[in-house]
Amino acid sequence: MSSSPLRDVLAAFDAGARSRTEIGELTGLGRDSVDAAIGHLVRMGRLEARELSTGCPGGGCGSCASGVDGAPGCGASAPGPRRSGPVLVQLTVRR
Amino acid sequence: MRVPSAGVRRPNDRTSAATPSCHSDGSAPAAAPGSPVVALVGPPNSGKSTLFNAVTGGRRTVGNWPGTTVETGRAAWQLPDREVELLDLPGAYSLDAHSPDEQLTRDLLIDGPVVERPAVVVVVVDAAHLSRSLYLVAQLREVGQRLVVALTMGDVAEGRGIGVDSAVLAGQLGVPVVPLDPRRREGGRRLAATVSQALAGPARGPRAVGERDASDELAVADERFAWVEAAVGAATSSPAEPPTTFSDRLDRWLTARFVGPVAFLAVMWAVFEMTTAVAVPVQDLVGNFFAGPVTAAVETAFAGVGLGDSWVQMFVVDGLVAGVGMLLTFVPLMVIMFALLALLEDSGYLARAAVVTDRLMRAVGLPGKAFLPLVVGFGCNVPAISATRILPSARHRVMTALLVPFTSCSARLTVYVMVAATFFPRHAGTVVFGMYLLSIALIVVVGLGLRRTLWRAVGEEPLVLDLPPYQRPTLRLTASVTWLRVRGFLRTAGGIIVATVTVVWLLQAVPAQGGAAFGHVPPDDSLFAALARLVAPVFAPLGFGDWHTCSALVVGFVAKEAVITSWAQTYAAADPTAGQSPVELQGHLHAAFAASAGGATVAAVFAFLVFLLAYTPCVATVATQLREIGARWTAFGIALQVSLAWALGLAVFQVGRLLG
Repeated sequence: MSSSPLRDVLAAFDAGARSRTEIGELTGLGRDSVDAAIGHLVRMGRLEARELSTGCPGGGCGSCASGVDGAPGCGASAPGPRRSGPVLVQLTVRR
Repeated sequence: MRVPSAGVRRPNDRTSAATPSCHSDGSAPAAAPGSPVVALVGPPNSGKSTLFNAVTGGRRTVGNWPGTTVETGRAAWQLPDREVELLDLPGAYSLDAHSPDEQLTRDLLIDGPVVERPAVVVVVVDAAHLSRSLYLVAQLREVGQRLVVALTMGDVAEGRGIGVDSAVLAGQLGVPVVPLDPRRREGGRRLAATVSQALAGPARGPRAVGERDASDELAVADERFAWVEAAVGAATSSPAEPPTTFSDRLDRWLTARFVGPVAFLAVMWAVFEMTTAVAVPVQDLVGNFFAGPVTAAVETAFAGVGLGDSWVQMFVVDGLVAGVGMLLTFVPLMVIMFALLALLEDSGYLARAAVVTDRLMRAVGLPGKAFLPLVVGFGCNVPAISATRILPSARHRVMTALLVPFTSCSARLTVYVMVAATFFPRHAGTVVFGMYLLSIALIVVVGLGLRRTLWRAVGEEPLVLDLPPYQRPTLRLTASVTWLRVRGFLRTAGGIIVATVTVVWLLQAVPAQGGAAFGHVPPDDSLFAALARLVAPVFAPLGFGDWHTCSALVVGFVAKEAVITSWAQTYAAADPTAGQSPVELQGHLHAAFAASAGGATVAAVFAFLVFLLAYTPCVATVATQLREIGARWTAFGIALQVSLAWALGLAVFQVGRLLG
């Protein structure tokens, strides 16, 4: 049983884990515990969660219709206001 | 302390108010004056409100907590031996005050004076997500408080193979645990009896807290999580292998180190094959529509107002109808490709593709996060460069902004499809797919080159991708996303391309030397042709030194779609049918490449495609680079793109000519 689950999760990030499954394998924590720890670290501001879309939600510049109502709708800010459905959630360690 | 507003008494004096709230729905009285207050807390989606409604009969008074915008509910709750007021506090994962909801819960439960706290706190705990739910219990156990745990979602946990022993859990937590199912109204009486017993007994002392530095927020949270983990480990039984979901089984293959990239390439190849196979025949139909009815209608209209054969008619027919009309023939292609990509995105597959791409980027030493703007770049380079802002370091931003122009945007796709359908009609999809592979290879090679020369110190940063489960794509969403992207394509056609077409037409209408009237210049004698011939020698070693081709590439600097409109215009001026029908235009392209390449047509075509991929995408990209990375790096980027494009084009043509 880990005595520092949160630090273990952060260490797994540093060790190069790319998914929650890999974090679970590296820390020995169960899936629910990994989710709980990540959720808490995000709320604490130690991790940053950002929803990402590989496409652009609509309207805007060039031929990719990237903006919505004048606001850029690129991957940095996606999903846009009209987007729903699955999105990629990126978690990064906030230094 | 906050001052309650008129008509609403705060319950944290441990007894309830008799006066209904001004926000009351009026359906239920609060508990009798002097009744003890019991607070119901728990994380969002733990079944807290369902439990509240189940035990109180759904009669609640709702209102904002005085001085806040946080909504709370309250109602009378009949216990076996007395009536209490049940206070439904907002969902909260913890008492750490990360949100107004959590702040209010914290104020009421632990920051306020002991005598003003609720008499009992019932913590709703989701049995299927114990670790997430018990953090609140860990915090509340650090203060002297009467606690009862209401264990919900037992059926969901059971469905996942998770068994929870409530007696062991109670022993571990040091508080009574009542399993119940508020959706079926089961366990409410047990909970009422347990709360009644808790009210009758003394408050339990705080739990023993392990050694921790109270000023270290992470250490404090870690101690609580460890306490939770110990309780969960002792009280739950899980299958040795957690049940695998459909998404798990698919991901085992689609994100695997070898199979993942192969599957990704296969999917993208299928997308381009389907796009070209279906779109090209439709494209001919649309082209014939512009060549036939549209052109005839425009000519008739001009003849009707006495402007037949005037320069105005030539501008509209040879310029707008030929140039913009030719571009619009690509609308079916864009619709099909955007719809297929939207289907992949909506299904959740593109998220897996991002994982595969991320791994590739890391493997070659590029910053992990950089793949995100690069993926966006395959749609359009402009937002992709803006997206480099997500990168924390200036070095990462500059490096990625320099790589983005090598991602093959959808504007370039129109030219690939036109050229591939012209010269390789049976393998157009494969040729287009090959261009995308080459684009990825260029990003990798240029990225490695930059890292090893300019940015040796660029490091990696941790990154985890949390994937959504797969789902059945929805028609509405797919149609909506497709339309939004096609609309962007149409905006380009209606804006910058019309402007480009106008400038090209004007240059074509002006004679390079005297002897011809404005608008009645043979194409070869126009100012446009004269200017194009100035740059043609630069491209002669690459096999496409014909002035029509060179001018199209120069115009393509404005926007890549303009390559097609330029071709359509320049050939239409000499042969009106060429600008209005893809088939006629293809004949002119065959002749031009064959002549300029000295017979090595295939080598010249590939050299042209490679040059098109690698050189500066468009003025909008340059403008965005200027804004994001400054003039010096933008100039460096343009020089890099043009010189690399030229060198690669030269290599492809010369090697191809030798082999061919």
